Formats: sequence, C-alpha cells, structure tokens
Amino acid sequence: MQPMALGTTLTLLLLLAFFGITFVISLSISKKQENADSYMTAGNNVGFGISAASMTATWIWAASLYASATSGYTYGLSGPIHYGLWGALMILFIYPFGKRIRSLAPRAHTLAEILHARHGQSSQLLLAGSNLLGSLLSLTSNFIAGGALISMMSPLSFSTGVLLIAGGVLLYTLWSGIRASMLTDFIQVCAMLGAVVIVVPMIFFAAGGSSIFVEGAQNLTAQQQSFFSSDAFFNQGAPFIAAVLAYAIGNQTIAQRLFAVREDMIKQTFVTATVGYGATVIGVGMLGVLALYIGIDPADGDVNNLIPQLAAGYLPLAFLCVFFIMIIGSLASTADSDLAAMSSIVMTDIYGRNIAGKTGAKPQLMLLIGRITMIVATGMAMYFASSRFDILDLLVLVGAIWGALVFPVIASFYWNKVNNTGFTISVLAALAVFTLVRTGWLPLEGTIAVVTDLLSVVGIGVIAGLMIFGFFGLRAGVAAVVVAMLITLPFALGFLHQYPVLTASLLAYAVSAILCVVLSWFNKDEFDFDRIARHAGQFDTQNT
Amino acid sequence: MTEILLSAYVLVWPVIVAGVLFVLVRAFLREIREARKDGRPMI
Repeated sequence: MQPMALGTTLTLLLLLAFFGITFVISLSISKKQENADSYMTAGNNVGFGISAASMTATWIWAASLYASATSGYTYGLSGPIHYGLWGALMILFIYPFGKRIRSLAPRAHTLAEILHARHGQSSQLLLAGSNLLGSLLSLTSNFIAGGALISMMSPLSFSTGVLLIAGGVLLYTLWSGIRASMLTDFIQVCAMLGAVVIVVPMIFFAAGGSSIFVEGAQNLTAQQQSFFSSDAFFNQGAPFIAAVLAYAIGNQTIAQRLFAVREDMIKQTFVTATVGYGATVIGVGMLGVLALYIGIDPADGDVNNLIPQLAAGYLPLAFLCVFFIMIIGSLASTADSDLAAMSSIVMTDIYGRNIAGKTGAKPQLMLLIGRITMIVATGMAMYFASSRFDILDLLVLVGAIWGALVFPVIASFYWNKVNNTGFTISVLAALAVFTLVRTGWLPLEGTIAVVTDLLSVVGIGVIAGLMIFGFFGLRAGVAAVVVAMLITLPFALGFLHQYPVLTASLLAYAVSAILCVVLSWFNKDEFDFDRIARHAGQFDTQNT
Repeated sequence: MTEILLSAYVLVWPVIVAGVLFVLVRAFLREIREARKDGRPMI
C-alpha cells in the first residue's frame, strides 16, 4: 500500500473538478421560483435514461462497494454474488409494488404520505420516522466513507475529508432538491460505471491475469473455492434475503424516484437499475476475490482498506484518480439522494400533512423547510461521522424496523380491510419481539427456541409469499408461503435460533404479518382506495 | 481450463456494466434531443 498516493493538491483538484461540475449542472436547471412539488418529485415525468441512472447511482453507495469486496475476500468466489445479487433483487422485487403504489397515488411525494391518506397519523409517522432515521444513518455512513478515503489517499485529515464531502454535496443539492439529485446522478453513474469497466480489468491483468488462480489457489479454503458455499449463504446471503423487501420499502430514496419517473417507464427503469447495480457491485466485489488469491493482508487489519490498497498497488496515477472519482461518485450520489429524501419527508409528512393541515400548506414555506432540513441533516451527519458512531449496527436496527413494516405497508395497498389499529399494533408488537430477541433479553432456549424457530419459518414464508405475490398475484403468493414453509420447516426446527440476528429479523416479518392478518380479518369496515389519490396530491396546485 | 473460466467469471461483470452504461447514455442523449425539440426542460 502506498498511503497518501494522491497528495493534497491533486486531491483538492479532483474534488473541485467533481463537485464543480455537479454544481454547474445543478445551476443549469435551477429556477428563480422553485416549485415545492417539483423539488420533491421532479414533476412525475422524468425519462428512462435519467431515472434508471439515478436509481442505480442512489442504490450504489460507498459501503456497498467496500462490503462486496469484503464479502469476496471473506467468503471467496461466491461472496460478491451473495452481496450484490440480493442487493440488486431489492430493486427488482419492489417494482410490482411500485407500479401499484403509483397507480393509487400518482401525485404523492412520500410513501408515508400515502399511509396518512390510507390510515392516518400514527401509521404515517411510524414509516416517516424510520425513513428519516435510515436516511440520516446512510448520510453519516457516506460521510465517514468519504473522510476515510480522503485521509487514506492524501495527507488531508479525516475531519477535513468529511467537511469537503458534506459541503460539496450540500452545495449542489440545496437549491433544486430531487431534480439536482437525479440529473447529477447521471453524471456520477457514468463516472462510477466507467471506472468499473476500466479499473477491474486493469487490476486483474496488472496483478498477473489468469495465473493468479493457479498460483494463489492454496490461499483459499474449500468453502472459499466453492460457488455454493454454505458459509457465504448463511452468513451473508440469508440475512440479505430477509432484508430484500425491508430496505426497498423503508428507503424513501427509492420511493422518491418511483414518484419521479414517467409512469409508463417504471418497469424498464427498475429492471435496468437491477442489472446495473448487480453487475457494478459484484464486479467491484471481484477485487476482494483477487486480493484473497493474491494473498494480500488488509492494512491495519481493516478489510475496508482492501479496495484502496489494490488500487494504490496496481494502478498508475491517472487511473488511481479514476478510482478515487468512482468512490466519491458512489458516496455523493447516495448522500444527495438522502438529503432530498429527508427534505421531502419533513416537507410533506411533518409540515404539509400534519402541522399545516388539510389546506394550509404554503409551498414557499415548504421549500424553506426542505432546505433547512438539508442543512440541519448535513450538520447532524457530520457530527455523527466525526464521533465515529457504529453506523452499521444502527443500520441493522433500522432494517429490522423496516422488516416489521413490510407486510402491513404492502397489505395496506392491496387489502381494503387493513386499518390504522391493525397496522400500528402489528408493527409495534413486531418491534417489541425483535428487540427482545436481538438484544438477548429473551434467551433462545428450550420451548422459546422451538416457538421462535416455528415463527421464523412463518417469516420465511411471508418473505417468499410477498415476493411471488408482487409478480404473480394472491394465489401464487399464498402457494409460495405454504411451499416455502414446508421446505424450510424440517431444516429450521432446532437450527435457526442459533442465528439470533437472522431469527430476530424473521420474527419481525412473522409477528407483524400474523397480527395484521388476524386484526384485519375481523375488521368490518372496507376502505375505498380511490380516496388515496384525492388525499395524497400536489401542494402547489391546491394553493394556486 | 479452470483459470480461463475463473478469469471469465471476474471479467464478465465489467462487460455487463459497459452494456448498461451504453443503454443509459443512449437513452439520456435521446431524451436531451426530444426535450430540445419540444422546447421543454429535461427535468
């Protein structure tokens, strides 16, 4: 490893060029009189090219590139697949639900806003609160990644790196919101994807090409050499499958692009983003596999150093700059999306639908609130980043909150008998059970272990059922629940409770689904779905 | 043989990424042309 390979001047020039170009692009679309709806949804009419690029760029964050390489280094050949494939499927599996949500509320701004129209305040705030927390953690994580990269590749300090990244992202996102975020995403995705096309083969051939696999085979265990590694599946793949729907439902950045893209282009946008994300993240993950074959030890024992180490060790200076821009692009594109998402939630769910009330929302005040939200969120994320909080643990926690929300949220868009009471009770109960298991307050032993194993099987059935239901309808979904439970039951009993993190997540799905179904089954009122479009509409037009 | 297959396994991902990049850039350029022709902003 050659630390500080870029030097202060070159690092500053690269950052100036990157953020300067994105700022100029943002300026080119700025309006003297911004529109609040447009600030959040870009007019609901964005074309396929920008939307698919933006969806891809938003979903690829710095942590996913590092984590995929770590997975390749830890689990060998199948590691990047167990990271990138499931992450990509998060986008794909949410697409049929996205089409349904868009048809119910064509002019909505956030998912929580639709829940407000569907159920009321408590359901809305549960989702909005978890969305805000998730985006704040994601923003913090990207600032940490930026600070770490800059401090590793230049003489600049971590804090200076965080400040440069935070200032650069805020500068171009503040004025035009989602419009700036989506348009600059296109440039950032070109930089990222272009870098993957160049950097991965360059490192491969510079490190020795195909001879690596002959000379380095002894560095791998049998599990690491297998494409069907059970280690990789149970430690990396399975927890990710459990999170597939949760992260897509809980992430407002995805919902925001769902509301921005032209309605007839939702399918091709989501499918292209699935392939783009998967190939990019798995491709970068292959660098971890190469590091394993070559026998590289991560600097300071930190596997997050693997990719920068390989880049600094095998790339000439010009391509090291390309690599640097790739990582900066990945974290900036997600950070600007998080800022736009948080501003939309505060504008719509806190001010527009609650504080201002039914007809009192003032679009210009909303814009001011949105911009203040971005500034406050940037300040908070910078503080958390410099305090070095354990962000990944918190992200797992937020993922579980989203896991508890998945079934009630999706059921609310299809089943007219789900009501606010059923929604709220099922989510809160699922969160309580999750907390008891995840923190170890409820020891998974004896009868409790049997019960949690059985409920985990139900959780697996719920996940499989929802995935199939989205594409093939209710009958196929119910059949998938039964088949998945029958297949996993013999293996799961007496086994799954040994993985408490996975068990806790599966329990969140199972408890929320069971309670939501039971409470809704006995509800005699039926909701009229046409009400959603009337109550989740535009702010500017209703006031002008 | 194994090393050729493993090399292909590593190098196929940048090829797919190049394909996606081509699709995105082509669509973006088409959208720019259409927006200019219609006299409206791209986003």
